[in-house]
Amino acid sequence: MPRDDRPERPERSERGGYRKFFAPKRKFCRFCQRNVRGIDYKAAEILKKYIPDRGKITPRRITGTCAFHQRKLALAVKRARLMALIPYVED
Amino acid sequence: MRQYETGFVLSPALSEEETTQFIQQMAEIVAQKKGHMVRQDIWGKRRLAFPIKRFQEGVYVFFTYDGGGDVSMELERRFKQTDAVIRFMTVLKDPRDLVRRKKKRRAEEAAQAQAPAPAPAPAPAEVKEEK
Repeated sequence: MPRDDRPERPERSERGGYRKFFAPKRKFCRFCQRNVRGIDYKAAEILKKYIPDRGKITPRRITGTCAFHQRKLALAVKRARLMALIPYVED
Repeated sequence: MRQYETGFVLSPALSEEETTQFIQQMAEIVAQKKGHMVRQDIWGKRRLAFPIKRFQEGVYVFFTYDGGGDVSMELERRFKQTDAVIRFMTVLKDPRDLVRRKKKRRAEEAAQAQAPAPAPAPAPAEVKEEK
């Protein structure tokens, strides 16, 4: 079937819900912003921001961290856990 | 030559003398194995995030050194034999970071050599990543 037969996709403005009125706040990678290359596992204070309450690593869809830094961050968190700088679980 | 960072946590039950003595011994091992100590951080007593061997606190020490793999192997062998060490970990530093730092330092030196230093500003001691 030729492609032209398909109904045209609606324009983006027809998104449902509140997004019609409010553009979502733009997230950005806080590590890129500060031009950080590596993330040190010893900087527990920074890592703590990414392990709220439960002690799990926050996914990057929530924090907006870029893939490069999320990888470094995950490794740093795991190392810091081993050295008992931040908890494995917290309740 | 590679740069390693070995961190270890000592039992809080040790006296201060014993602690400093042990740290000195370990530093000597680095020198013995022809490693070059770059940095020696002693954080002192710090609360652990979770109890290890029923201890709630630990003395954190970090060594950064250049050397071969035998340095870290020897250190870790000692750590395993010593009961006072409750955690340890060796991490390989990213060699690319080192190159960058060296380049930076060289560039700074060159800049200083060119401009005859308006009062020798103390070089910012190794810019660590800030949050």
